[in-house]
Amino acid sequence: MTIDLKLDGVYKRYRIKQAETDPRSAMGFVRRIRSRFLHRQDFWAVSDLNFEVPRGQALGVIGHNGAGKSTVLKLVSSITAPTRGEITIQGRVAALLEVGSGFHPELTGRENIFLSGAILGMRRKEIHANLDSIIDFAEIRPFIDVPVKRYSSGMYVRLGFSIAAHLNPDVLLLDEVLAVGDSAFQQKCIQRILELKHRSITIVFISHDLSAVERLCDRVLVMQRGNVIFDGGTGESIAHYRSLGQFQARSMVNPLAGVREAEITSLAFLDGEGNTASSLLTGAPLRARIGYVAHERIPAAGFSLFFWGLDTRLHCQFSTFLSGPRLDLGPGPGMVEFSCEELGLQPGVYVVDVNMERLGKAENLDYQSRCATIQVSAGKRVRGEFFSPHSWRMLEQGKAR
Amino acid sequence: MNRPSPAPTASAEKAEGLIIGKDMGTPSDRRTPEEASASATKARRVKLIRPPSLSPVHCFRSLASLTQYVDLLLTLSLHRLKVRYKQSLLGWAWALLQPLALMAIYTVIFSMVTKVPSEGLPYPVFVYAALLPWAYFSNALTASASSLVTHQQLITKVYFPREILPLSYVAVGVVDFLVASTVLAGLMIYHHVAITANALYLVPILLVETAFIIGLSLLLAAIQVDFRDVGLAMPLLLQLWMFASPVVYPLAQVPARLRGVYLLNPMAGIVENFRRVLLQGRPPDFESLNTAALISFLFLPLAYLYFKAREATMADVI
Repeated sequence: MTIDLKLDGVYKRYRIKQAETDPRSAMGFVRRIRSRFLHRQDFWAVSDLNFEVPRGQALGVIGHNGAGKSTVLKLVSSITAPTRGEITIQGRVAALLEVGSGFHPELTGRENIFLSGAILGMRRKEIHANLDSIIDFAEIRPFIDVPVKRYSSGMYVRLGFSIAAHLNPDVLLLDEVLAVGDSAFQQKCIQRILELKHRSITIVFISHDLSAVERLCDRVLVMQRGNVIFDGGTGESIAHYRSLGQFQARSMVNPLAGVREAEITSLAFLDGEGNTASSLLTGAPLRARIGYVAHERIPAAGFSLFFWGLDTRLHCQFSTFLSGPRLDLGPGPGMVEFSCEELGLQPGVYVVDVNMERLGKAENLDYQSRCATIQVSAGKRVRGEFFSPHSWRMLEQGKAR
Repeated sequence: MNRPSPAPTASAEKAEGLIIGKDMGTPSDRRTPEEASASATKARRVKLIRPPSLSPVHCFRSLASLTQYVDLLLTLSLHRLKVRYKQSLLGWAWALLQPLALMAIYTVIFSMVTKVPSEGLPYPVFVYAALLPWAYFSNALTASASSLVTHQQLITKVYFPREILPLSYVAVGVVDFLVASTVLAGLMIYHHVAITANALYLVPILLVETAFIIGLSLLLAAIQVDFRDVGLAMPLLLQLWMFASPVVYPLAQVPARLRGVYLLNPMAGIVENFRRVLLQGRPPDFESLNTAALISFLFLPLAYLYFKAREATMADVI
């Protein structure tokens, strides 16, 4: 078995600059010079990574934000160098960390294929050979000679992915790229990646979309705080990741308000029967429970849930302060439940933020961003941006014979 | 893939083996997975990524790998030319307008307001022949010194040798230089300035200049990743530098006792000799040209070494 990618004791340190000081004051100037050279905080993004990826394997890497997943890709793709350790790669690497790398808005789609293709490492000859295939895959033939600044965002990402899909690497690195386009195009992207996989291309795939990881990967690494904490088959790894709980320990001190007065401790989604659900259905009942701890009495509190699409649009919000009684929380732990008879979100992956705030003061007590990822699957199939619960009745009708 | 050739010289054993293989129904051109991966490994480039270091070996390796990126350099340079004058009315005329305007200003100041000797040449030709190499230097340097900073998005998301970015701007500078040269040709014809075989020295002079520009671009671009002061200081620096080079006046005007220091500026030897071999038809002044060449060619590898060592963590700080 040939090893295509090998990480051997890899560490990566980032130096965090101190907060900027006032550039107008003389002391600020001295401090800025000093902080350049002396006072830098170290942050180890990944430490002691050791793993091997054999040829043809599709390796998934999952973990919470800040676990070091993206750093792994940046190291393997040479965007940044490791602080210690050694990475060995066999063959040509292509990394896709964003869609549409190097696109220039003034250039036409065709010109951008050549530009972006070259930046991603394709030769002109290769691009010429693949030009038709790239245009067709992106489904933008009528617009290929229009400047990309006139493109819709969907056309833009389709073209970007299409170029990348025609790279011919030995090792392919992918970062969340499936989060582009509509669901039909996403399916096409997954198909394309599966095709590459069948050609014995080694793939490293980083994603929050567990269903995509499940479909694509043979093996999954779970990362936490810069370390690999689990390495196993796709099913086991995803199960392990889910069992981690979605909450990162936060400091008790709120940098803005001194000591935290309250904090959110958990978030769980339940289906209609009250069972824990990780996959939800459009049009089916949904319940969401937020656990919290109040360290003192909070006379006017509010809770909200925000559902963000992977296109980073806010799709929906649940709130306690739109209806119902005012919340007056005593000290101690507690739990709030939202329930929704018919979920309006369309199928897709959503990232959830939880907010706990003090009403009237516009002050957040705790804001947990991206603390859960949920997958909504097709329950009631309807077309449109969202499903709106509705009822109907007949008012008039021709007499049945 | 490699079908054994059924040449008559093949040994009997081999031929037999081939026949047996066929009889067993194994296609002779299909390899077992082990064989396939073993031979693919041979063909594949092995890439080793290590922490950054100031090593000349690493430098040579990256210089060799640069040949793979010739296409990217070409594409990027063409792209810059294509994009620059999009949605502009005068388009390419801008490449001519800048040196022409400077020529007009300096002619008014240094030949009408005050008299600067121009070695017997009409002042407009005299100054334009120096503005040409100077504008190449100054424009290429300004653009390439900020090339990394203006491409943050690319640097943090895609890998390619970072020197491609400054180099693409130097390439654009060469094209602008060629476009602006046509005006000089016109001026020389108009003023009946004859050209001699010594004009061939333009080739080594421009090589020295290009080496100096690349070296300085690499250094400044890499420094600017950490300190944006470089970009802010550039216009002022270049203004001073121009007057410290024999652009609006001839080298002969520089006092002899200052000459040694003056020539430490490679642009002095480059600009002076450019004008001298082209307009005066004389062989170059080897003292100044050799100094410029020596400094430029020593500086370039050092700058590259520094650039490559900084490249490794550019994406973290940019």
